[in-house]
Amino acid sequence: MEIRSALRERSIVVYSILLPIFMYPILLWVVFSAMTFVQGLNEGFVSRIAVVAELPEGHAALIDSLEARENVELTREADTDSAVDRIQAGELDALISFLDAEEDGSALPGNFRVEVRYDRSEGRSRTASERVGQTVDEYRSDWLEREAEAMGVGEAERVLFVLTSENVSTSEDLGALFMGIITPLFLTIMVAMGAFYPSVDTTAGERERSTWETTITTSASRASMVTAKYLYVATMGVTAGVLNVLAMFVSIGAVLAPILSGSDEISVRIPFLAVPVMMVGAVGLALMLSAAMMILASFARTFKDGQAMVQPVYFVAILVPLLLGQQTDRTLTAGIAAVPVANVAMMVRDAINGIFLWPFIVEALAVNLIMVVLCLALARFIMRFEDFLIGSFDGSFWRFAKDRMRPRSIGKEPA
Amino acid sequence: MNTSDTTVSVADLKKTFFDESRGEVKAVDGITFSCVPGEVFGLLGANGAGKTTTLRMLSTVLKPTEGSASVMGHDVLNEPEATRENLGFYSASTSLYPRLTGRETLEFFARINHYPPEKVAKRVGKMVARFGIEEYMNARVEKLSSGMKQKVSIARTVVHDPPVLIFDEPTVGLDVLNAIEMVKVIRQLRDEGKTIIFSSHIMSEVEKLCDRIAILHRGRILALGTLESLRQATSLHYLEDIFVHYVTEAEGVEGAGIGATGEFEASK
Repeated sequence: MEIRSALRERSIVVYSILLPIFMYPILLWVVFSAMTFVQGLNEGFVSRIAVVAELPEGHAALIDSLEARENVELTREADTDSAVDRIQAGELDALISFLDAEEDGSALPGNFRVEVRYDRSEGRSRTASERVGQTVDEYRSDWLEREAEAMGVGEAERVLFVLTSENVSTSEDLGALFMGIITPLFLTIMVAMGAFYPSVDTTAGERERSTWETTITTSASRASMVTAKYLYVATMGVTAGVLNVLAMFVSIGAVLAPILSGSDEISVRIPFLAVPVMMVGAVGLALMLSAAMMILASFARTFKDGQAMVQPVYFVAILVPLLLGQQTDRTLTAGIAAVPVANVAMMVRDAINGIFLWPFIVEALAVNLIMVVLCLALARFIMRFEDFLIGSFDGSFWRFAKDRMRPRSIGKEPA
Repeated sequence: MNTSDTTVSVADLKKTFFDESRGEVKAVDGITFSCVPGEVFGLLGANGAGKTTTLRMLSTVLKPTEGSASVMGHDVLNEPEATRENLGFYSASTSLYPRLTGRETLEFFARINHYPPEKVAKRVGKMVARFGIEEYMNARVEKLSSGMKQKVSIARTVVHDPPVLIFDEPTVGLDVLNAIEMVKVIRQLRDEGKTIIFSSHIMSEVEKLCDRIAILHRGRILALGTLESLRQATSLHYLEDIFVHYVTEAEGVEGAGIGATGEFEASK
């Protein structure tokens, strides 16, 4: 009955069902489209670069190479200060000055220094500076080559101690790295979001709608009430998690593959065995978060208060996979498996990378189940307090825990 | 009153709360009464007299600090589920689930109160016909007017056919017509043999409806009896005057007229 009622509430349907399904396709499409769009913008626009002062004799080719670039528009400026003002006003992107070479460099006849002035806070200006830098680097390299050859120094004597690097990872490895970072995060967000609204709705929402007393005066036992409510919240959380995993796999084929079809750098393939592991992880996470959220929300008198009380759990849950996402070389260990949320996040990432550390996976699931049992025992314990039951307790879970350590507390007068 | 017919029995019931600013507060201070089938038993008292606390103890939401109470022979402390199974509880704070339809609401409450599953549909149909709520039974409760909600809510209270019904300030927040309708329904239920405990601070309602009245003040029963016996004991006609008489007496001489059990039988 709770679930039937919940499925008629728009926010629960959106956050627990629709969002987990459509998040991956929409998000991936938006991210890749935005990246392509930004890349196109960066490559497409013309940098307005001004030059002050004359080039030293014999280096006119540097200006020629700048002018030869299709994405550079070169102008002459007489005054440096006014050119800087124009950069700050957004009328120019960069200013090039040719100055005398400094210290040791001054020994070489005709040597000079290129100074680029740009506005680092503006993307256009940064790009203009980079384009100047590339052109000067290429010019220097060509010049050195020519001079060396003129002096009879061949390439074999000139090119020394060269560092080369080769990426041996496959496109599948890079795909797994990418998915391993985003999947635990998105999965945690979706499971937390899926449990968030139902947990507040079935506790604080009941108080706000004045249906709580209707419920507790029925002949159902307190234990069965707690269990039923928990099963409802957990079902919504599990649904969100499982739908999210399924949606991710569908998205990889239907959305991500066409986008990446032109790229030989990244390819997304997830081991088949990862699916059940991720599902189990999502279920464990949902069961644990549902219990924790329900306990915190049950102290609220209004839906709004409930949201405020549950939000810390939500944020902590998201923060954990976010931080783990930076540690890409770690795998599930006995220590991490003992930490709720972190254990599932790591388990999911390992699964995507084709790593299945079964003893630690079992430990992680056991830890989550123990947390659920503890939370339910706590919920039943809390239900024994009358002021909580009739809603006259005014405070959060933390205040409740503190107050109940004082033996003289009996309860408060009902409102 | 035949004690073998007793449906509700309350003996020296006490409830003490701890309040940070006031210390220990005796919300209910040793009350004793009993009820029989086909009776409306009124708890009359000002706000804070202990009416709701008493009814919450009877419905096992609160546990008595001392004393005992039972409903249909089930002790409220030791058999809370069995006690609630024999109760229908209606108050201003027992609203309906807004996203369920009227029919779903009745089915749900019949089942959760252990009404035989195979008879639920028939029982719900009977309630729908009885309260004249056929037209909007398939509409969500949130879409109903307050009068419609009230009818569904009463049907929800009695759908599992409990022998004892508690109406805690049932007319609070209702308009005049709905309040009259409520009183009418309670009378009908009484005539069907239900035991009804009716709490109110509205004298006229208690006067019209209750077969016996307990005047409750500061957690104690100052007087208990039929309206006629209270009139005889005080030589006053109106319930309002009778109520003021007892309360003034109790405030003037604390404890005067109150027996060992906290009960004063006006008919004595």
